[in-house]
Amino acid sequence: MELTRRDFIKASAAAAAFAAVGVSVARPKGAEAAETGITWGKAPCRYCGVGCCVLVGVKGGKIVATKGDPAGPVNKGLNCIKGYFLSKALYGKGRLTTPLIRKGNKMVEASWDEALTLIASKYKEAIAAHGPDSVAMYGSGQWTIHEGYTASKLMKGGIGTNNLEPNARLCMASAVVGFMNTFGSDEPMGCYDDLDLGDTYILWGANMAEAHPVLFSRLIDNKLKHPGVKLIDIATRKTRTTKMADEYIAMKPHGDLAAVNAIIHVILRDKLYDESFIKQHVNFKRGKENAPYGLKDKEVFNETPADIKNLTFDEYKELMKQFTPQWGEKISGIPAKKIEELARIYSDKSRKVNSLWTMGVNQHARGVWVNNLIYNLHLLTGKICKPGENPLSLTGQPSACGTAREVGTFAHRLPADMVVMNEAHRKKTAEIWGIDPAKISAKVGLHTMEMFRAIDRGELKCIWIQCTNPFQSLPNVSRLRKAAEARKAFIVVSDIYPTKSTEVADVILPSASWVEKEGVFGNTERRTQQWFKMIEPPGQAKADTWQLIEFAKRMGLGHLFPYSEKGFYKEMWEEYRKFTIGVGKDLAPYEAYAKVRGLRWPVKPDGKETRWRYTETDDPYVKKGEGVKFYKAPGNKVNAWFRPYEPPAESPDKEYPFWFCTGRLLEHWHTGTMTGRVPELKRAVPGATIEMHPEDAKRIGIKNRDMVRITSRRGTIVLPAEINGRSTPEKGSVFTTFFDETKLINELCIDAFDPLSKEPDFKKCAVKIKKA
Amino acid sequence: MPTEPTHTDISRRQFLKGSAITPLALMLAGSGIAAVYLRPATAGGFTLRPPGAITEKRFLAACVRCGKCAQACPYKSIKMAGGEAGVGIGTPIIIPREMPCYLCSDLPCIKACPSGALDKKLEDIEKVRMGTAVIIDRESCLSIRGLRCEVCYRQCPLIDKAITIEPRHNTRTGEHTIMEPVVHKEKCVGCGICEQSCVLPKPVIVVQRTVEIQKDNYEF
Repeated sequence: MELTRRDFIKASAAAAAFAAVGVSVARPKGAEAAETGITWGKAPCRYCGVGCCVLVGVKGGKIVATKGDPAGPVNKGLNCIKGYFLSKALYGKGRLTTPLIRKGNKMVEASWDEALTLIASKYKEAIAAHGPDSVAMYGSGQWTIHEGYTASKLMKGGIGTNNLEPNARLCMASAVVGFMNTFGSDEPMGCYDDLDLGDTYILWGANMAEAHPVLFSRLIDNKLKHPGVKLIDIATRKTRTTKMADEYIAMKPHGDLAAVNAIIHVILRDKLYDESFIKQHVNFKRGKENAPYGLKDKEVFNETPADIKNLTFDEYKELMKQFTPQWGEKISGIPAKKIEELARIYSDKSRKVNSLWTMGVNQHARGVWVNNLIYNLHLLTGKICKPGENPLSLTGQPSACGTAREVGTFAHRLPADMVVMNEAHRKKTAEIWGIDPAKISAKVGLHTMEMFRAIDRGELKCIWIQCTNPFQSLPNVSRLRKAAEARKAFIVVSDIYPTKSTEVADVILPSASWVEKEGVFGNTERRTQQWFKMIEPPGQAKADTWQLIEFAKRMGLGHLFPYSEKGFYKEMWEEYRKFTIGVGKDLAPYEAYAKVRGLRWPVKPDGKETRWRYTETDDPYVKKGEGVKFYKAPGNKVNAWFRPYEPPAESPDKEYPFWFCTGRLLEHWHTGTMTGRVPELKRAVPGATIEMHPEDAKRIGIKNRDMVRITSRRGTIVLPAEINGRSTPEKGSVFTTFFDETKLINELCIDAFDPLSKEPDFKKCAVKIKKA
Repeated sequence: MPTEPTHTDISRRQFLKGSAITPLALMLAGSGIAAVYLRPATAGGFTLRPPGAITEKRFLAACVRCGKCAQACPYKSIKMAGGEAGVGIGTPIIIPREMPCYLCSDLPCIKACPSGALDKKLEDIEKVRMGTAVIIDRESCLSIRGLRCEVCYRQCPLIDKAITIEPRHNTRTGEHTIMEPVVHKEKCVGCGICEQSCVLPKPVIVVQRTVEIQKDNYEF
């Protein structure tokens, strides 16, 4: 912080006072903290999916302070330690400030015109020779809604390929498919208010204390205020979350798939279900089984309507008889007695039960199935769509929901829950975009893993990566890095710092970040948050929307973006908003977002937000007297899926005896390109470590901080051991983080993925460990 | 906020060279300088010594200034004090903000000590008592202000023993938890990792001289 503590307090007090008396601090110009000469503006935090609101203090064209926004409903003025140092993410060493073009092994400075003309010529060349499906774009859940929308319109409506993917494929894809095939609409029915209103929280493999820091502080406050509140942590390692939970239940990796089935078995066996809720709202279905793991290139697995069988409730009950608690114990490691107990907690009429999960369930070779099964728990017991009683899938990126999911920047999606395979959806999209429906391809594009494998196969000729770092974050990354280094495709990377991905780029473009441009993010709880541009980007850095539209002009597609310079963000928003109106995903007019700290969709005609979907208590689409209505599902009935147990892609064996799991910690975010440049965070946690159970370490002769070699079938890496530290994996498991760019942890990870969501399983593969 | 003692970061070789002439230089320095520097360490001038250091007064007498503990330290946490340390010149010190003690389980510094200044009877790292971490600036501590920081806690090698989190309701927001780090001096070894990792420009948690637990009749 360049500000002294006293200045900061004064300025904060001023900003808080403005907020308290209802003076808008939205526009930097509007709210001058006169004493200090700092202008304050509002923005959502740049980092995770929680969506904390911050106030950004600008003086002399530079951010001089940030603070939690007291008016922000999510965080009420608080931040985590990453958020505290938020502005430093922009002022780290080595910001990219000029376009760079590869000349042999050197990256040479170029003008924007040279760089964009080169990119356009490469794209044109590839399209002319190999068709539009030979080019691709890979974006991000950190893209603003405008950036994702621009990319979608450009690729799907302009170039005519669905080869558009977000990095959210790596984190939220399983949640998306789970929502779609259970409820017929993406994103949760509940919201963060459930964290304040419920009394029972069951965490499935989620280290919320570190991955969703401010939300966790909110959840724990509910516990402090209400002694009856119970927090149960079901996980494969003891974490900071465990420490604050009432109960920790150790589970084997992949054990959730068996454990939830066994809990459902008990609920059915002992008739603990809510029969009238089931009768009114639930269909039972059985999908395609014996699914592959995506390890082979071009492996296809789809669950088509022909593969889906309808079941009666009795048939479903019969099928579930095999999953006894004893069977569940054998596979999940959770004692049968605990499974019985959990079934009773889930169905206890006096308890308001919430399930919370994130990457443990989503980055899972059967992630969609586990999502489906958790929904079954809530559907069978009727504990859903009620204040304080919901399943809530937590997200990890600031706009995984807003951009990747709502705009639909996946290879199969169009805005507002629509898909490219559906003719009516293509028609509606083409109408709003003002293009010929034939322009939008009906063919699903390459999903992320196939997109990068296609580079290796020589099938994908051009790829443009924006706002993400796949050459560090993808599993089995060495294959993909080798392909890129062999220059098998023309690779463009837009980013704000040099990364492991810019290393392999042919063109590097300097981007504007966060408040260096205007934007909108959408968080976990359907909250859409807008901010204005507050400072200029450094050097020649430009917003990703500008880069894409300048490229579009050179591709002869400039007409797709007819927005005026002055009204750019509003005009594009109002066009995008058309997709959302009347389909249960309604967004508000652009101006509305400038005045508030976000609104949760569907936004009602009177401008008010919706906290709980599908219920008459709050959702404008449900009439009074209808109670709960799943109006996005066919026949207003949602699907409870029969999903059996199938093993993970790779399990420990004699040669590779340990489970290997990867994840996040509080101090750093994703691949550390931003937090790694914040000296305070870097000093706090300088690099990755390997967490081990003390007994495993002792057996192998490893002491705390000893260097340890970890080897999988795909790669090997050396990390210092961390024993009895912030987390302790169960025996037979090791854990590390993926933020450290000096350690390509993902070289070890298997590139197996969920056959339905195509989301890789970063949580499970087999490794051997030895003292280095 | 006491100012940190400055020090000389010298390699073993430089140190050996230097140590040959140091006693001579000291003698020549005369009584004027001695009056300034030859003072016992006080609470304000607390010097963090390597693990196993005997009481400061006895330590100064016992330590032969050989630098073997510094040489044995794999993290270069142990440095040799320069002239500013007065009678302590050439004795081993740890400056947590630069490099804290990482508590090697085999305590190589103690093993290397030929003089007994580092107590060889100490074998269990949890019994090390170099000092005690103290939150000296509660008003600035981000965790106490309600932010989700707690870096010192998560970095503590004796997490949940030497530092615990005491959660309490945040009355300002009405919806969040203040997760306050609390140091337990009966467990804290004084390694300084918390002081090193504190994210604020001036660490709000610093290692100080361990104050003995005061005994009275109130045992619960």
